Amino acid sequence: MEHYDLAVVGAGPAGLSAAIEAAGAGMGVVVFDENAKPGGQLFKQIHKFFGSKEHKAKTRGFQIGRELLEEARAVGVKAELNSAVVAVYGNRELAVSQGEKIKRVKSDAIIIATGASENMTPFEGWTLPGVIGAGAAQTLMNLHGVMPGKRVLMLGSGNVGLVVSYQLLQAGCQVVAVADIARTIGGYGVHASKIARCGVPFYLSHTIIKAQGDGKVENVIIGETDAKRELIPGTERCFEADTVCVAVGLSPMSQLLGQAGCRMVNEPQKGGFVPKVNEYGETDIKGIYAAGDVSGIEEASAAMIEGRISGAAAANAAGFMPDGEFKARFEECETSLAQLRRGMFAPGRKGAEQSETDEGIPLSRALLSKGYIDENELSAFPGFRDCSALSETYPVIECTQNIPCNPCQDVCPKGCIHVGNDITALPVLNPKASCSACGMCVAACSGQAIFLVQPHYEPGYALVTIPYEFFPLPQKGDKGTALSRSGEALCPAQVVDVRDAKALDNTRLLSIKVPSSHLNRARFFVKGDFANG
Amino acid sequence: MDKVTDRSPVGGEFEPAPDDGLIICRCEEITKGEIRRAVYDGMYTLAEVRRYLRAGMGLCQGQTCRRLVMGIMAKQLNIPPDEQEPEVSRAPARPVEMRALANTTWEGVGGL
Repeated sequence: MEHYDLAVVGAGPAGLSAAIEAAGAGMGVVVFDENAKPGGQLFKQIHKFFGSKEHKAKTRGFQIGRELLEEARAVGVKAELNSAVVAVYGNRELAVSQGEKIKRVKSDAIIIATGASENMTPFEGWTLPGVIGAGAAQTLMNLHGVMPGKRVLMLGSGNVGLVVSYQLLQAGCQVVAVADIARTIGGYGVHASKIARCGVPFYLSHTIIKAQGDGKVENVIIGETDAKRELIPGTERCFEADTVCVAVGLSPMSQLLGQAGCRMVNEPQKGGFVPKVNEYGETDIKGIYAAGDVSGIEEASAAMIEGRISGAAAANAAGFMPDGEFKARFEECETSLAQLRRGMFAPGRKGAEQSETDEGIPLSRALLSKGYIDENELSAFPGFRDCSALSETYPVIECTQNIPCNPCQDVCPKGCIHVGNDITALPVLNPKASCSACGMCVAACSGQAIFLVQPHYEPGYALVTIPYEFFPLPQKGDKGTALSRSGEALCPAQVVDVRDAKALDNTRLLSIKVPSSHLNRARFFVKGDFANG
Repeated sequence: MDKVTDRSPVGGEFEPAPDDGLIICRCEEITKGEIRRAVYDGMYTLAEVRRYLRAGMGLCQGQTCRRLVMGIMAKQLNIPPDEQEPEVSRAPARPVEMRALANTTWEGVGGL
């Protein structure tokens, strides 16, 4: 029977990180993954990550995936793909399904990093073709280059629903609505704003009533709900749509742990049945660990750190990593993890009613219910300055929720933006520093919440520089329409500059000329005549 | 289950609901009404419902419907959904061809 120092189940962010850490310490490591390609969800994640530099912030998910694979190769991790682990036994033996055979493997330690699967919600017509998970839509688009549909209704306003809605727009689909039974948007406000400014409407306190059509989804009916989440009769609304994307949360895929005999607990905050683990991710069976979403739903950045911790712990337990080194490694990872687990979306605070930021500023109600900040709410936030009298360019930072992220501070060469050591703090504009209009902050902001404004570009006209990630890319000189934060057509606009550079990592900077009065309103651009819609 | 459960139906006749026809377990095509009826008939745990109806016993092994079935059961039993027992996870965790199972020697597994 094959025998390894460590077997990792799942080659996603947690599993690969665990394998790298352990193999780097000298362990003989094998990683099994049921898919044909390693990387887990990372290769579907085409957006830039949040966090700080050490969390690989402002790097796109698939790029992080490539880096992890490179690292894993370098330290000699053996990866076996198309290999589903179908059983894990308490004596640390695994059964791996490979083609027409089942291979039995013995391993001194096992790290389960199987991730999560999408939740579903049943409604009339949910078995019709066209009703898919948001993750499935992401797989179709970002791994296989297939559009899931033309007109999509997104069910769920958490980060998955918001991010996938944006990616659907990027793929050329129309997102007819984002509906959620919750009263407020569940995901990051900045993710909501990215799609709101493209004109996607939000329907909070709404439930899906049915999807209908002849053999496939042709239209979808949603309706408003009251405080008890009961449908209010007469509020039904019908959308023509060929696809319903369901993004109503994830469940840990923890069956292997349960099957191995690990103690399992049902923790709703973590997404369901998860193993009881210690601070290293070790279960109550010595030598069996759980890392990443399988031990509680979070996001990829946290999963990678959990993987590192479990990998290091397994190496330490087997004598491959000295205690001192392990202790230092563990503390470093814990600090990094603690940074991510702060702010208004931290585990434990998520879903709780919150009314103000950590700085004591009232949260934008409009952002929570409509997906964009009302102009008059902006002045309360430290990233906003009304400098319409200024002659030079300055950044406007529409970042109004405490989320763990600070690339804006790191990339500014002029020291205009201050976040500080607490990376969930809101970015503050330094009134003394002067902006060089390099636009690095605009491209680096994973939430696309930073804009450059130049109040007096030409007499009567201002220049607004926006992040832009759609094709076809507008060209210099193109005439079109400026859209507001809500996606409403504001005024005619002309593209006067399109900047692209390697450092911008495919977030192009579009500078548009708009009448001065729209300086603080114009936040998106579409080609096409203003008057003709 | 560490307590004695009274499984005799309570509250009179089984009451049909308008959405009873909704399919919940897609793999085995088990409806909401069938699950509600199973609970009425005395199936109080997920494991019992799985054995009785085969809900969650198909291709996805309940990965999609487990949460839904538990929600329906909790409502029917009038208990919080998180207080229910999980089902027992068994190998194989993924569908495996019979010949693959047959091609494998299993000495030493599970005390064989």
